[in-house]
Amino acid sequence: MKKWLNRLASFFSRPEHLILVVLLALLVFLTLVPLFYIGLDTFTVHSAEARRIRGSQAGDLTLYHWNYVFFERASKNLFYKPLLNTMLVSLATCAFALVVGGVFAWLVTRTNLRFKKLLSTLMLFPYIMPSWTLAMAWLNFFKNSSIGGAPGLFTGITGIATPDWMAYGFFPIVMVLGMHYAPFAFILIGGILRNMDANLEEAAVILKTSRWKIIRRITIPIVMPAVLSTFLLVFSSSMSAFAVPAFLGGPVRFQVLTTQMFRTINGVNPGVGYILAGLMIVIGTVILTINQILIGKRKSFTTVTGKSSNISLVNLRKARSPISITLAVILIAISVIPLFTFALQSFLVAPGDYSLENYSTIFWTGEGSPDIASGEPGILKNKYVFKGLWNSFSLSLLVALFAGTVGILVGYAVVKTRGKRGSNMLDRLAFFPYLIPSMAFGAIYLSMFSVQRGFIPSLYGTFAILVLVGTVKYLPFASRAGINAMLQLGKEIEEAAMIFGVKWWKRMVRILIPIQKPTLISGYLLPFISSMRELALYILLVTPSTSILTTMLFQYNEKGWDQYANAIVLLIIGIVLVFNFVINKVTGASIDKGIGG
Amino acid sequence: MKIRVVSVLLVVLLSLSLFAASPELVSAAKAEGKVVVYSITSRIKNAAEAFQQKYGIEVEAYNLKGFELIEKVSKEVGSGIVGADFVIAQDGGRVFGELIEPGYLINYIPPDMADVIAPDQQNPLMLSTITKVFLYNSETYTFPPATNIWALADPAFKGRYFFKDPFQEGVNMNFLTMITREDWAQKIEKAYERYYGEPLQLTTENAGYEWIKRVLENGLVLMKSDTTMAESLGIRGQQIDKVGLCTYSKVRYRDTKNLALLPIMGMEPFAGFYYPSYLMLVENAAHPNAAKLFIEYLLTEEGFTPWSDSEGTYSPNPNILPYPGDNGFNVWGNILVGEDPEFLFENRIDVEEFWNEYAY
Repeated sequence: MKKWLNRLASFFSRPEHLILVVLLALLVFLTLVPLFYIGLDTFTVHSAEARRIRGSQAGDLTLYHWNYVFFERASKNLFYKPLLNTMLVSLATCAFALVVGGVFAWLVTRTNLRFKKLLSTLMLFPYIMPSWTLAMAWLNFFKNSSIGGAPGLFTGITGIATPDWMAYGFFPIVMVLGMHYAPFAFILIGGILRNMDANLEEAAVILKTSRWKIIRRITIPIVMPAVLSTFLLVFSSSMSAFAVPAFLGGPVRFQVLTTQMFRTINGVNPGVGYILAGLMIVIGTVILTINQILIGKRKSFTTVTGKSSNISLVNLRKARSPISITLAVILIAISVIPLFTFALQSFLVAPGDYSLENYSTIFWTGEGSPDIASGEPGILKNKYVFKGLWNSFSLSLLVALFAGTVGILVGYAVVKTRGKRGSNMLDRLAFFPYLIPSMAFGAIYLSMFSVQRGFIPSLYGTFAILVLVGTVKYLPFASRAGINAMLQLGKEIEEAAMIFGVKWWKRMVRILIPIQKPTLISGYLLPFISSMRELALYILLVTPSTSILTTMLFQYNEKGWDQYANAIVLLIIGIVLVFNFVINKVTGASIDKGIGG
Repeated sequence: MKIRVVSVLLVVLLSLSLFAASPELVSAAKAEGKVVVYSITSRIKNAAEAFQQKYGIEVEAYNLKGFELIEKVSKEVGSGIVGADFVIAQDGGRVFGELIEPGYLINYIPPDMADVIAPDQQNPLMLSTITKVFLYNSETYTFPPATNIWALADPAFKGRYFFKDPFQEGVNMNFLTMITREDWAQKIEKAYERYYGEPLQLTTENAGYEWIKRVLENGLVLMKSDTTMAESLGIRGQQIDKVGLCTYSKVRYRDTKNLALLPIMGMEPFAGFYYPSYLMLVENAAHPNAAKLFIEYLLTEEGFTPWSDSEGTYSPNPNILPYPGDNGFNVWGNILVGEDPEFLFENRIDVEEFWNEYAY
């Protein structure tokens, strides 16, 4: 007994062991246990359902939800069609993103395109902007009057009414998500193209292989793993997208899994929503696990050293300037026009009337009167907007602080105990939240924490639950950064300090962290910006007093108060861009270096 | 003579005391210093402003959608979180079952109002009756483009009928449920005969269901917001040829947003529907006195100003007159579909299922 206690004491005398055990326990509680409760919730009668399930009481066990999702008359519209829509949207988005991002990557790395640096920077813009801002821009520009809302700018300028398929539903959702994720394909595929051994292509050139054949037989096979990886990441991201299909699909009743999940959990049948959430978790986990396996394999053969540096670029000849200029114009349009439409719309009083006397600052600085947007004061005079801004900001800051710090600890514990079973487990657990679609993650926290669980009181309606869900959801960004940073550090540095008897926390704060500052800061930055623009993760958990900017934006949009919505979009984009820019300048880290999302 | 003077004096005194909150309540409310309200009507923010100025009590007023309000209140009170002090709720069917029955919401009638407001509007206490009527663009048409609800299911009207998403706002589902009640179904059947001159061939349970189904199959446009609907219907210079079942009070945007909107009062067999909004205390209110004071204030002429300033919203306080130019509720009540809580409780789920099958 004593011997055993001694061993235990000596095991925990090493800080990495203590951290490992504590973090493992915490993460099991915060990621695996909720899965159990959400499972339980799919078999439970909720208070809103007591009337629907005849003769039942809230809290009873039931198979009703499972039956209802899969085998009822309503199943087709509730589940099967949205599932099909989700799959089609995700596939088409992948195709669009891969083609656009891939071709762009090829042009930048393999041809003598002009203004490569400018174009590469511009290309990242649609990815830095939250995807739903592009959706709103699309509506501002292309909406038509045949399905509600005054006509958009496009009709206002050209007089041509946009057809429904162009304004709402499948097509715009794919365009917007595709445009948002194309940069992602560009980053991944471009990275491979830039780093791959060009000797293979050189050899082919020497053997007088045609350009097309080189692309087909050498370039594409080499970038295939990156393409596949992009495909999977984009697929799972667009599958879990909520705001874009909600904004663009709503008017024509185009439903996907996330919008149905929101409708049912927030409405009269939460049990069904939890089943949808569970299904999305399963699909997301499978897809991203495949991706992890692929990445693991790829690592073993892409680290080729001594690559040839002067690869011969394809000469675009006469097409060089036209292509470069066209690309620049398109990219500038995609980056600037949305901002322009937000600004424009936020000053417009009577909808659809683009004449000059129809502009007013009432939605920015007005006092609010009942006959315009029901007395809502302009957003610069609106205490609720300021509260939302403050909530968004402090939420993101806290999420970044917690996630970033825990990420460092995860990195430390995982690397120091490398090779042991616990280390592997912690590594996987810390990455696990990444596999779960945002809204489903919000749903499981709703299910877990809306009642008292053991010593933890009900957290619903508190700010703490938002911080908690954000921290755990974005921990993967931070733990990746933490693990990478710690991996790069030799053991000797810390050991030297240990010999001198330097305390653990001092070793961390004075030695390890300062050395790896840039990498670790990105572990703080990514959670901050992601949280700042997040909607789907928080929307099920906010209450009126904990509203954040994005959920307010969603509400304004639902109410049809477009001017306020557009003004808030400008506010959020402003904050995200400024932070990205500042931190990029200071540390070199940037959101576009992230692992998707 | 003397008696007359006394009675006049009495009446004057009475009416003075009628709308004056008791000093104890005012001071207790001021001591609390703050009140939080969740409301389905956005104009609460104007009332909040006025209330704050009058009493110096800080108001946090949140405008929520019907389903959000029910969800948030039941979750918050159910898990012991202090949120709202009182609510302005709608969708009686769900509010009764999910909020009142578990005791999350408590009815409170200001003592001064007990004699003023009709007894059947006191439990739960009503803030207002809200009407939704068929609206059309009065610039495009001099006469209403449709005067029978079956016109909306006719191929000529494909994609031209706007309706609010009934899952976003439960009162619309209540309306759909009500028209499947036998008496309304019969009226709808008769209206069909008058419109087409031949009897209706049913493919569903009754004419109410039949109308819902045919309207859905005729490219019904679901809207998320009445504001958007009013703007889409009323915009000038676009030759808008739509009809929408829209909150009547949205015609208040006429001038500010330059909209051309008129109701179709002669629509057969109904011109729309109406539903009550309720004022109720929350069980775990942190500022109950301030909430009581605000509730009382909202029932006075002064407090109701944001709503009485336009058509379409009617106070249960008979001293508050309808907006000039609008009909009294007694006129509207006759041509609109009302809510029957018992019928809704029994049948709404069936209609929801029916709707699910065709709508999404």
